[in-house]
Amino acid sequence: MMRKIFVAIAFAALAIGWTGARVSAQEQDNMSPAEHKRLFREGAKLWPIYCNTCHNARPGSEKAPYEWDLIIMHMRTLGNLPQEDTNAILEYLKAR
Amino acid sequence: MGVAALSIAGLARAADSDATDAAALKEIRAEMHQMREERKRDREVIRSLEVKVQQLETKDQKVETTTQQLQNTDQKLKETTLELQQTNQQVKTLQTKVDAPIATQQFGNAVERYLGSHSFTVTGAAGGEFIYDQQSGALDDLHHASQNSFFFDWEPMILYRPTDWILFEGVFSAGFGATGTGTDLSTADFQIFLNKYMTVVGGLFDQPFGDWYENQSPMWVNRFVTAPLPFGVEPVVPPGELGIQLRGGMQFGALGQDFDYTVWGGNGPNFSSDVLGAAMSSPTSIASAETNGKSIGARFRIYPLPVDTNWGRLELGASTYNGKWANGNWFNSWGVDFNYFIGNLQTRGEWLQSYRQMPMGQASDNRQGWYVQAGYFLTGLKVPGIPDVINDYLRRFEPLVRYSGVNQRGVSTDDIQGATGVGLGGTQVGLVPDFGINGSPATYAPHSREVALALDYWIAPSIVWQNEFDIELPRAGGVFVSSTGAETPAGSIPNDHAFLSQFTIGF
Repeated sequence: MMRKIFVAIAFAALAIGWTGARVSAQEQDNMSPAEHKRLFREGAKLWPIYCNTCHNARPGSEKAPYEWDLIIMHMRTLGNLPQEDTNAILEYLKAR
Repeated sequence: MGVAALSIAGLARAADSDATDAAALKEIRAEMHQMREERKRDREVIRSLEVKVQQLETKDQKVETTTQQLQNTDQKLKETTLELQQTNQQVKTLQTKVDAPIATQQFGNAVERYLGSHSFTVTGAAGGEFIYDQQSGALDDLHHASQNSFFFDWEPMILYRPTDWILFEGVFSAGFGATGTGTDLSTADFQIFLNKYMTVVGGLFDQPFGDWYENQSPMWVNRFVTAPLPFGVEPVVPPGELGIQLRGGMQFGALGQDFDYTVWGGNGPNFSSDVLGAAMSSPTSIASAETNGKSIGARFRIYPLPVDTNWGRLELGASTYNGKWANGNWFNSWGVDFNYFIGNLQTRGEWLQSYRQMPMGQASDNRQGWYVQAGYFLTGLKVPGIPDVINDYLRRFEPLVRYSGVNQRGVSTDDIQGATGVGLGGTQVGLVPDFGINGSPATYAPHSREVALALDYWIAPSIVWQNEFDIELPRAGGVFVSSTGAETPAGSIPNDHAFLSQFTIGF
C-alpha cells in the first residue's frame, strides 16, 4: 500500500513539474543591465549567509564562470535554495 | 517532252527543206544547250546562296547566344557588385565592433558559446591525517586497538552538465591507511531541475535525513576530523540511499525567509546481520541483499530570519525515514536539527532516534543519538601587546567543541572486530579511529559519549589544518552481542583519549 501511494505521489509530482516552466539560463543572459545590477546586489547579500550556513563562503575568483554554472546547480540541490536566490548568488560569483 | 515534240515537228517538215531544218535544229539545240547551261548556273547560284543563307543563319544564332551570355555576365556582375557592397558594409560593422571595447558579460557569453552547452568540472577534497591513540584499557576479549598512523583520503566530485536543467554528479573516494586501502563510489546521481520549486534526484545519494550526511560530511566542510557519534561509527539511520528524491525550496517572506522540502524513496535500510546492534550496511550492498522492503522519507526545513535584519541565519528542520528490512520487518526513524550562526559564531545540533523491529519475536533494536557543537572564528581578534604578524596568524584560528552520544541496547561484536571501512562505503565500524566519517576508538559501546575539542587553522576558505582531541566517556550498561545472538553484559567500559590531526584541501 505504501509503495502504491509513493508511486502515485511521485508520478503526480513529476507531471506537475513538467507542466511548470523551466527557467533557462538564457533568460539570465537576456536580462537588462539594471536587472543584472539588482541581482548582483542581492547575491552580495545572500552569498555570505547562504554559503556559510554549511561551509565557508568561497570567493568567485576560485572558479571559472562556467564552473560556477555547474557548482551552483549542485548547491541549489543540496541546499534546496530558491531559484531566484540561486541566480543572484551566481551573478555575484561570476562577477568575482 | 519538249525536245521530243520538236523532233517530231522537225521530221514532218523534212520534206520541205532539209537545210533550213538542220539550221533550225542546230539553233534549237544551241538554245537548249544554252538553257541547260543557264539552268546549271542558276542551280549553282541557288546552292551558293543557300550556303550563304545557312552560314548567315548560323552566325545569327551565335550572335544571339553571345548576346545572351553577355546579358548573363552583366547580371552576374551586378549581383557581385551588390554582394561586394554588402560585404564591405559587414566588414565596416565588424571593424567598428572590434574597435569598440568588449564588455565582460559579452566576453563571458562568447567563451560559453565556444565551450558549448555541455560542460563538466572536477571539485571535491583531499586530505592527509595522523591519528594517535593508545587504548590502554581495551575491552575484554575484544580487539585491542591502537593507532599511530598516517592516512590519506581523496574524494573528487565530478559534475557534468549536458544542459542548464540537468546535472550529473559522482563522488569517488579513495582511502589509504594502516587499516587498509579502498575505493568507493560515494554518490552517483542525476538531478533534473523541473521548475523553480521542484528538482528530481535519482541514483545513489547521501541520506537527506537531518543535516549531517548531506551537508556536513565532506572533509573540508566538517569542522572536526571525525563525525559526531550518531553519524559515524554507530549510525542511527543509514548513511546513504539508492532511490529517487523530489526536493525544492521557496521564499515565503522577506529575502532569506525560506522553506524547503525533500521527499524520497529507495531500497530501504540494511544491516550487517540479523542480530541486535548490527551495523548499518552500505546502500550499494542493498541491491544484492536479501528481502529488503522499500523506504520512504521526508525532511522539512525552515529559515525564519530575514537577511536584512542582521540577526544571523537560523535553520530548523525535522526528518523522518521509514522502511522495511529483511523479510518485512519495520525500521522507523525521525529526528530534529538546528543550525544557527551569526558573525563569527556557529552552532548546530541534531537529535534522532530509530526503531528496528527484530525477527523471531526479539525485543526491538532501538537507537538514539545526538550532538551539539559550537565554533568561533577569531577573525576579529587583536591581542594587545603582540606584533601584528602574530595577530594575523591568530585570526585564522577557529576553536570548536562538540558533545555527542549514542544509546542503544547492544552492539555486535562481529562489527567491532571487523575491518574498518576507511571512511568508505563498507560497514563503517571498528574500534580503530578512522578517517573522515568514522569515530573514535572507545565509541563502539552501547552507551557512547564523546567530547571533542578542536582547533582549526584556516589557510583559505577551503584549506584547513584541523587538530582534534577526543575524550571518550562511555557509560556502563548495554550488551555485546555475538554472531549467534548471545548477549554478554558490557559492564563498565574504560574511558579513552585520541588525538587526530588533518590537513584538508577543498578544491
